[in-house]
Amino acid sequence: MTAPSPDVATAALADATSPRPVSMSAPNRRTMRWLSNGVLIGVGLLFALPLVWLITASLDAKPSLAIAVPDVITFDNFRAIFDPKLTFKPLWNSVLLSGGTAILTVILAALAAYPLSRYRMRVTRPFLYAILFGTCLPITAMMVPVYSLFVQIKLIDSLPGTTLFMTASSLPIAIWMLKNFMDSVPIELEEAAWVDGASSMRTLSRIVLPLMRPGIAVVFIFVFIQAWGNFFVPFVLLLSPSKQPAAVSIFNFFGSNGSIAYGQLAAYSIVYSLPVLALYVLVQRGLGGSSALAGAVKG
Amino acid sequence: MKTARKLMATKVLSLGIALGVAASLTACGSSDSASGGDAKTIKVAYQTTATFDQMQTLMETTKKQFEAANPGVTVELQPVQAEGADYYTKLALMNKSSETAPDVQYEDTFKIQSDAAAGYLLPLDDKLAGWDDWKLYADGAKQAGQGPDGKTYGVSLGTDTRGIWYNKDLFAQAGIAVPWQPKTWADVMTAAKTVKEKLPDVIPLNMYSGKTAGEAASMQTFEMLMSGTPDWLYDYDTKKWVTGSQGFKDSLQFVSDVYQGGVGPSLQQALDPNIFTNVTAEWLPKGKLAMALDGSWQSAAWVDGGTAPWPQWDQTLGLAAMPTQNGQAPGSTSMSGGWTLALGKNTANPDLAFKFLTTAMTKENALSYDIDNSQIAVRSDVAADPSYTKANPSFEFFSQLVDVTHFRPATEDYSQISNAIQVAMEAVMTGQSSVSDAAAAYDQAVIKIVGQDKTQAAS
Amino acid sequence: MTTLAPTPESTRPAPRATARGRSARRTFPLLPATILLAVFLLGPIVVSLYGSFTDATLSGTTAVSSSFVGLDNYVSLFKDADFPVAIINTVLFVLFSAVVGQNVIGLGLALLMRSANRVVAAVVGTVVVTAWVLPEIVAAFAAYAFFRDDGSLNTALGALGASPISWLYEHPMIIVIIANAWRGTAFSMMVYSAALSEVPPEVTEAAQMDGASGAKQLFWVTLPMIRRTIATNSMIVTLQTLSVFTLIFVMTGGGPGVASTTLPILAYQEAFKFGQLGFGTAIATIMLIVGAIFSVFYIRALRTEVK
Repeated sequence: MTAPSPDVATAALADATSPRPVSMSAPNRRTMRWLSNGVLIGVGLLFALPLVWLITASLDAKPSLAIAVPDVITFDNFRAIFDPKLTFKPLWNSVLLSGGTAILTVILAALAAYPLSRYRMRVTRPFLYAILFGTCLPITAMMVPVYSLFVQIKLIDSLPGTTLFMTASSLPIAIWMLKNFMDSVPIELEEAAWVDGASSMRTLSRIVLPLMRPGIAVVFIFVFIQAWGNFFVPFVLLLSPSKQPAAVSIFNFFGSNGSIAYGQLAAYSIVYSLPVLALYVLVQRGLGGSSALAGAVKG
Repeated sequence: MKTARKLMATKVLSLGIALGVAASLTACGSSDSASGGDAKTIKVAYQTTATFDQMQTLMETTKKQFEAANPGVTVELQPVQAEGADYYTKLALMNKSSETAPDVQYEDTFKIQSDAAAGYLLPLDDKLAGWDDWKLYADGAKQAGQGPDGKTYGVSLGTDTRGIWYNKDLFAQAGIAVPWQPKTWADVMTAAKTVKEKLPDVIPLNMYSGKTAGEAASMQTFEMLMSGTPDWLYDYDTKKWVTGSQGFKDSLQFVSDVYQGGVGPSLQQALDPNIFTNVTAEWLPKGKLAMALDGSWQSAAWVDGGTAPWPQWDQTLGLAAMPTQNGQAPGSTSMSGGWTLALGKNTANPDLAFKFLTTAMTKENALSYDIDNSQIAVRSDVAADPSYTKANPSFEFFSQLVDVTHFRPATEDYSQISNAIQVAMEAVMTGQSSVSDAAAAYDQAVIKIVGQDKTQAAS
Repeated sequence: MTTLAPTPESTRPAPRATARGRSARRTFPLLPATILLAVFLLGPIVVSLYGSFTDATLSGTTAVSSSFVGLDNYVSLFKDADFPVAIINTVLFVLFSAVVGQNVIGLGLALLMRSANRVVAAVVGTVVVTAWVLPEIVAAFAAYAFFRDDGSLNTALGALGASPISWLYEHPMIIVIIANAWRGTAFSMMVYSAALSEVPPEVTEAAQMDGASGAKQLFWVTLPMIRRTIATNSMIVTLQTLSVFTLIFVMTGGGPGVASTTLPILAYQEAFKFGQLGFGTAIATIMLIVGAIFSVFYIRALRTEVK
């Protein structure tokens, strides 16, 4: 592989200089590229449109639900939410909850997915069906017994306890996804390692997981975002306001009798979304070559 | 074959765990030993949001006063950051387990009956008998705190009433004399039709209706109308729900006349889930709406520091009481709700908890809470205080409606019956069914919800 | 995890260790996940399922003394006129917003990104992901603000000389389907991007040398290679979409009437608005069954693939 400059401006150039086996299809590819760019930009604009409201509302002193250019641009909404109790502590709790859940889920799911993907075992099929059943569970409908369970085992109002529950509820889908990604990693490499005497745990951590980094990234981000946006589970299982994550404190902006502080809600949403967007961008960058978003840069 | 045995072992193991869990769950209801922690801690649960921090303020103040007066006692505040249904759900869950049940809680008057029936609340009658201030409370507020057994479970923090907010400028443009006070439903309709004729771009009258508006439709519109007829939804003497009354049909007819007659918002507007914010933050301030049948709390959004500041609200808007159907005595009517403080049934320290409650309810605390939260005072000493009446020009008007106000028949079946009312309203406002069909469907629904033996035909 | 020591005797691990020891070692990594699932999900499921056969409520007398009512909840659910509407709406919602919408748009975006300019792909990808990252209630408000009567879409239509349409009132299902496709596509896009990155470039290059056209190449070479991912992803977005609640609740409240009421909206109304826990869980059980039916199709697709 060539090592193209990460500089975005030289992206096209870097691409042109990278070795291509067939030159005959080059014009075809160029049209293809322009077409792709055009369609992507079009779709991107469509996706961006509804988001404009967040920006206009967050900068408006008297925002409504309609998109409108503010008469006066103000940062008062942001100033109002820059408060440790309202914003920073809940965001930190969100990081602990979502980060803990995502890390724990990925580790446990990768462990579970390995034998399911690699061996023909009698447990495989029943386990996968059971897990599939688990992915359809309407968690909200189960929260009453879950609350009683948490009071019984003294995990109520505990961040680690809530993390464990959120891990359990995201495990089924994570195992399914990871098994699927693992299936596409060729087994030949591992067989070579086994012959060399490596244990299965070692082949998993040294060979399989590194090869399926994009898949792990997708699962990690997926679980993280699900946990980040989860309102109901932490709302029910945590009692102290100092432990509540941002998904709960965002409901602060929905006033009684239907009055909503739109400006602050929009500003808070922006601040609330930034860490996750940053995580997404970071993971995509760190992944390097295998990701479509990172182009031809090999990590 | 060996693998199969292994599989069995795993299965048995996980089954065992599951059974253990299930067993511990079924056992949970019976653990009444209430190891509710330190005997000197009072847990207080209440609601808070960014636009509703008045309760937070009151509880923090009370905590300080209470801890200073009772050394060695700690007050643990447990604010629940949530709206309506979510708050009720969380509170019910906390109450369900004795270990997490709060000692003192912020309780909606319309949940008192069902929460008392569920055994979540402590009857307060003995304690109230020894509390001097209790005689200062208005009768209606005392009633609203009663459970199905007639005992008192909640002490009112303040109440609300409802009336017609009208835009004086728009009325003047339409040629209607202000101040305006309709004597009958027909007067309201005449004014609405005049506005529609003279000012075609203005919505003449908003009254919440349909399932999307939820409880506001049943209580604020329907029960408001029906309380102005000779009939009522519920017979308090026989404790039965009334079916087939003329008042019910007349109220539905009025809803139908407003929407089918084109003097209400369009159906799209009326069934928009965000209609509340539209009314408060857009239609009224921007002069798009001439009359709103709405609550006493509306001005809280417009005052300085509210969610939709509108300094001119006081000059622009006038207030009129909702008339009875044909002007029969007492001439006007209103509906009230409001919130109370209640004690948890299994509190380890009922006396301390009640002491906390009364500390929160002192004249000074009640006064500042009622002013901050645009509440109608229920203590006579607060209502008479000049600083209260001067704080907001609409307080005086809404306070006098307390004499003619009504409360919801908030039995434990009420929320389902309220939904049946909304369904009937929506059916007639959209013209999907006639008034008599919708009323008949309501009767059927009520019978299904409470059972035939708990209903009676109107006399 | 990497420090987990290899078992001492495993100098020649895979082929012929004793069968029992081998299977024990092989299932061992399943254990932590299994325990967690058993404790936190299996127990509550059993209790919930039992709850759907009782008249338990959140408050009121039946909160303290609920009784077993057999199939009463299910019977009255099937008698409820709103129930068939909710089932049909749920299936339409899942089919069009997830199986078709998110899946196809996500795959399309992932494919386009492979051949597009890197910067364009990164920017568009981030925009798409933003809609997904936003808290559901905020995304719902943004979508509501876009489609409401005097919202941005109608303003734009007005500028083009078209007459405004009351989207949320006249076409509530179509609008919530579009909104959910908008919100959820990012996930499918990411899954397909990851899957496509594992399709070796040589494969498509070779196909091009054979003169295969773009479309043929897509259908005969690329898609078959990621068939498992397509099936798994379809299943996941289906099950996720099945439980979407906030989006619909904020945009239409399930209305007008019951025009956009899905099973989760119905369950919410019963379980939380009315506190009818037993009835609410009965609806949740039906949701579980709908999810299972969808899953059977995907499992079949996966199985034929294995053979």
